Amino acid sequence: MGYFIELVISGLAIGAIYGLVAMSFAVIYKATGIVNFAQGEMGMLTAYTSWSIAVTLGTGGVLTVLTAVVVGAVLGLLCERLIMRPMLGEPVLSVVLVTVGLAVVLRSIVTIVWGAAPHKFEVAGADTILQIAGIGIRVSQVTVIVVLLAALGGFWFFLRHSRFGVAMRAVAADEKTARLMGVSTARVQAVAWAAASGLAGLAGAFFAVIYGLAPTIFELGLKAFPATVLGGFDSIIGSGASGLIIGVLENLVGGYLPSTLKEIAGFVLILVVLMVRPFGLFGEKRIERV
Amino acid sequence: MRSGFFKQRYAELVVLTDSPAVKAWTAALVIALVAAPFIVSSFMLSHLTVILFTIVGALGLMVLTGFTGLISLGHVGFLMLGGYAYAIGVTRMGWPPEAALVLSAVVPAVFGLIVGLPSLRLHGLYLAITTLAFSHIVSASILAGGKFTGAGKGIMIERPVLFGMSVASDRAFYWFCLIMCVAAVLLTLNLRRSYVGRALVAVRDNDIAARTMGVNLWRYKLLAFLISAAITGVAGALMGMYASIVSVEGFPFLLSIEALAIIIVGGIGSVLGAVFGAIFIVTLPEVFSWLVKIGGGRLADLMTTSAHEIRSVLYGLAIIGFLRFDPRGLRGMWHDLRHTWVQWPLRF
Repeated sequence: MGYFIELVISGLAIGAIYGLVAMSFAVIYKATGIVNFAQGEMGMLTAYTSWSIAVTLGTGGVLTVLTAVVVGAVLGLLCERLIMRPMLGEPVLSVVLVTVGLAVVLRSIVTIVWGAAPHKFEVAGADTILQIAGIGIRVSQVTVIVVLLAALGGFWFFLRHSRFGVAMRAVAADEKTARLMGVSTARVQAVAWAAASGLAGLAGAFFAVIYGLAPTIFELGLKAFPATVLGGFDSIIGSGASGLIIGVLENLVGGYLPSTLKEIAGFVLILVVLMVRPFGLFGEKRIERV
Repeated sequence: MRSGFFKQRYAELVVLTDSPAVKAWTAALVIALVAAPFIVSSFMLSHLTVILFTIVGALGLMVLTGFTGLISLGHVGFLMLGGYAYAIGVTRMGWPPEAALVLSAVVPAVFGLIVGLPSLRLHGLYLAITTLAFSHIVSASILAGGKFTGAGKGIMIERPVLFGMSVASDRAFYWFCLIMCVAAVLLTLNLRRSYVGRALVAVRDNDIAARTMGVNLWRYKLLAFLISAAITGVAGALMGMYASIVSVEGFPFLLSIEALAIIIVGGIGSVLGAVFGAIFIVTLPEVFSWLVKIGGGRLADLMTTSAHEIRSVLYGLAIIGFLRFDPRGLRGMWHDLRHTWVQWPLRF
C-alpha cells in the first residue's frame, strides 16, 4: 500500500507539470484555434534560460519561479509577434505546420547553445524532503502541485470575472462577432501566447529542478498532449486537471508493468478516449460523424 | 507559343501530358538518370540514391496530406514498420527478398487501416495527434519486442538478390531505387488523375460537398491511409537496405518532420512538388555544410559536432520560410518560370 501511495504522490507531481503544459496548449487553442506544437520546446528554452540566469545571479527559489514565468512570457510574445502574427488569416494547416517548424528550430538551438549533456538545476531548499503522513516528498514536488492548483484557480477567475478573460472567451466563441464588439483579436492572441508560454516555462523550470536539465525536456510537450486531449482542447481547466490523471496513470503503469509501457500509457489512453469521446472529457461537444 | 487547346475526348483531358516537349525532356531526364552511375562520383551516386528513396517516402505522405488533406505527424511509424517488416521477413522468417518487399508494403498498409479508423471521427489536429501517438507506440513496441525485433540493437540486413540480379553494388542499388522511384511516381501520378485521386482531392477541399456528390468518405479516407502507408513502407524497406541495418535510432521522429518539410517546400498536393521538395531538402544540409566549410572558422567546428541539430534548424527554417513567403512551394516557382519561358515576352 505504501508503494501505491508513493506512486500516486510522485504521479501527482509529474502530473501537475503535464497539467501546466496541457493548460498552455488549451489557452492558445481557445484563443486562436490552433495547436502550438512548439509548447514543449518553449518550456525547454525557458528552463535553460532561467537556469543560466539562476547560475549567474544566484537567484533563490521564489525568484527562479518568477524568472521562469517572465522569460516564458517574453519568449511567447516574441514568437507571436515575429512568427505567428504574419500568419494571421492563413489556413489552419499552414499555421500549425509553422509551429511544427518552430518546434524543431527551438529544440536544436537549445542543444547547440547549451550542449547535450545533462545538468543539475540547483535551487536552494528544493530537494528538502518533507514527511507527510509517513511518506517522503520533496519540497519542489509539493510546490509544483500547489502552483498547478493556483494556476487553475487563477485562470478560472480570470476567464470568468475579468474583462480581458471575457474578451478571450468571446474571441474563442466567435472571432468575427468579437471583432465587431471592439475586441482586438491580435491583442487577445498576443496575451494568449504570453500566458501559455509563461505556463509552459513554469512547467519546464519545475521539470528541470525535479528531474534534471537535459535536452529531452521538450518531450514534455508530447507527454502533455494526452492530458490536453483527455480534457478537451477547448477546456483550459479540464486540461489542467487531466494532467494529474495522466501523471498518476503513467506512474502506476510504470510501477506495476514493464517500463516501456510507461512511455506510451498516455497515448494508448488518448486513442481510446478519442474513439469514445472525440471532443475530450470536458470539451465542448462538436459531433463529427462520417 | 502553343494555342488552341481543343479537347474532344475525356481521355485527352486527363492525359498526363499532351506536350511533345515535356515528353522529350522527360525521356532525356530518364536516360540521364539511368546513365548517371557511369558519370558521377560515388559520393554523388549515394546522394542521388538517398534522394530517390526519399522521393518514394515523400510521395507516400503526399497521398495522405497533400491529396486527402489528412495531416500525419507519425509517418515515421509507417517507415519503421516497412523497414522492420522487410528485415524480419528476410532474416527471421527466411522469406525471399521479393516476398519480403511485398510484406514491407502490406504490413504498414494494414496498420494504416487501423490508424485510419479514428480519422473518420477526428478533425485535423486530433488526427495529427493520433498519428503522432501511433508512431510512438510503434517504436516502443519494437523496443519491447525482444529477440524478434532486435530491440535496441536493430536487425542487420544484406543487400538482396532480386529476380536473379544482385543489388549489392552501389550502382545496382541505385538502379533498383530508380526503378522503385519511377514506379512510385507513375503510381501517384495515375492515382491523381483517376476517379480515386479526384475523390481524394474532393475530400480535402470540402468533405461535405464531396459526400453530396457521392464520394464515400469512409472508403476514400481509409484508402488514402492504405495507399500512403504502403508506399511509405516500401520507402522504409529501401532505407533499411541502403543502411544495411534497421534500428529504432535509424528512424528518428525528425523523419516525420522532414517528410512534412519536403511536401511543404515542394508544394502541397502535387507529385512534382514531392520530387522537387525531396531534392531540395536532401541537398540543403549538404550545400549548407559545403558553404560553411568554405567560410571556415568556428561555424565549421559546430557543423561537425552538431550536424543533426543544424539539419533540424534548416528543415524548420525551410518549413517556416516557405509557408510564410510562398505557400505554393517550389512547384509554384517552377510553374511561374515555365510560363515566363513559354509566354515571353508576354506577361501571362
